[in-house]
Amino acid sequence: MSRGGWGGGGVVPVAMVLLGLGGWPTGAGAQHLTVAPQAVLVDYREVSSGLRYSGSGFGGVATGHHGKLSAVASVVRLTLDPTDQSTAGAGFKATQLDAWVGYDVASHASVEVGILRRTADPEFAAQSLGALRLGVRSTYDLGPGATVSFRVDYLAAPKFSGGGRAAFSIDLGLGLDVRLAGRLHGVVDYAFERVNRKTNPGGTGEIDAPIQQTLARLGLGIGF
Amino acid sequence: MTTCRGGGLFLLAVLAPAAGRAQALQNATLRRAQQAYDNLEYRQALAFGQAALRERLAGAERARAYEVVAFSYAALDSILKAVDAFKQMVLIDPERQLDPNRVSPKAYSAFDVALRQVLLVRQLRVDSTSFVAGQGAVPIRFMVTQPARVVTRAIGVGGGGGPANFLVDSSAWNGQVNLSWSPRLPNGDPVPAGSYTVVVEARLGQNTFSASQQIRVTHGRVDTLPHLTSLPGYQYLPETEIPAQTWRPLGVAFLYTGGALIGTLGLESSSLGASSKRELGVVGAAALVTGFVMTLRRPAPRPAEGNILYNRLLTEQIARRNADIAKENVARRQQVQLTIGPSLKTGAPR
Repeated sequence: MSRGGWGGGGVVPVAMVLLGLGGWPTGAGAQHLTVAPQAVLVDYREVSSGLRYSGSGFGGVATGHHGKLSAVASVVRLTLDPTDQSTAGAGFKATQLDAWVGYDVASHASVEVGILRRTADPEFAAQSLGALRLGVRSTYDLGPGATVSFRVDYLAAPKFSGGGRAAFSIDLGLGLDVRLAGRLHGVVDYAFERVNRKTNPGGTGEIDAPIQQTLARLGLGIGF
Repeated sequence: MTTCRGGGLFLLAVLAPAAGRAQALQNATLRRAQQAYDNLEYRQALAFGQAALRERLAGAERARAYEVVAFSYAALDSILKAVDAFKQMVLIDPERQLDPNRVSPKAYSAFDVALRQVLLVRQLRVDSTSFVAGQGAVPIRFMVTQPARVVTRAIGVGGGGGPANFLVDSSAWNGQVNLSWSPRLPNGDPVPAGSYTVVVEARLGQNTFSASQQIRVTHGRVDTLPHLTSLPGYQYLPETEIPAQTWRPLGVAFLYTGGALIGTLGLESSSLGASSKRELGVVGAAALVTGFVMTLRRPAPRPAEGNILYNRLLTEQIARRNADIAKENVARRQQVQLTIGPSLKTGAPR
């Protein structure tokens, strides 16, 4: 079984390159910058309906907007336990890194590229995943200080710790950023990830081993 | 050659009421002549008037005596003699003017004929004015009673303290004359500040007559224009506007949340079963609540593109005008404002 490169150390440098290409605003150059710790709710399924996990976690997110450029980076640490209906014997922990760099192409639309990297601990308790994101995002100002966004990303070139391939992988999300008071922001985000992974164990033919995850991030942050 | 002497006091006497005029006359004979004329005793008035003329009279009273004699002759239908008397009167007092509404037509016509039979320069007026040197002129008006060669000059103190003589005009004129003098030196500079005498000299054969008036020329700075901060009648417009309150925020929240829900339902793997809706429920509820709250709140001001463009045009227009003003002020600082007014001393006709 081959091991995917995304599960190793290649994603972080790519993320840095993407953020660098996007001109991630640092310090005073950013028009809007929000940093928020987050609580996370997660539901994870793999291979079959019997392998189901549910859990929670914590992490942080940083969002920024400068001119037509925007960027988001999020890291969460998840603790997943088998659900009551699950056949899994034990839970696992996972660390997920998401990063996007977007460019506004219209008043409410932007294109974005980014990365996704999720590693499981113990390593073979679940699939570690790494992929590039290519997608579009629609953002709309609901009112003063409130922004809602909807995004659809194609997960390109996914790599799995357990090997295999995925011709169709998609990630969609719903985001909300609300200025609650002064610099205090509420940042919530929903992400649904569907990966049509296929494996060929022993060369006997491909079998489906899909991955599906729903994730909710809830955070209170400081805006600059 | 005819020579005239000034008689400003005479004007005062003529403008006064008849009784008052008789009282004001110093010479007793002339006073009696005036009283006789006022009593319509023209022959007596004529006799007293001629007697007064044989006495020693000041210029004004002499002119008054000729006037009484002229009016008396006119009343007695001796028009030619009336004309002669009027001629003597206007030679003493060229500015004398009769009101055709208040004197008899016979007397007025005799006066008019007398005016046309002597060479006079009358009613010389130099109007007060103010203008930028090189961009205006001093209006000079006078009347010549006979066709004559008229030379008009402005005589004053030159820049070095010596006399300066500026020829204003030299032409043949008759009747009302309107001239304009551009008070500039030959090199184009304005004439030096100071007192000037405008002298009008008329010549007809051996007869000459001249009149003069003193004026004062002062130099001043040309006012510069203030820079504009706004254009009259054009106000800056607010660059933001508050849109009308709508249900759009809630609608958009529904749309986006619905999109996420439909996407989740549509992309769920059948082999993995229905996914948890807990996560979407939390985030979707937050989005809907936010949309609802934002619907109730006052909408945020948004840029008013039309007003922004208008303000930009206005700013550009003001900047353009100010650039023109600055350019004009540079020129104005190099200019001299000339103010021409009457001098304290008034010249008398010679």
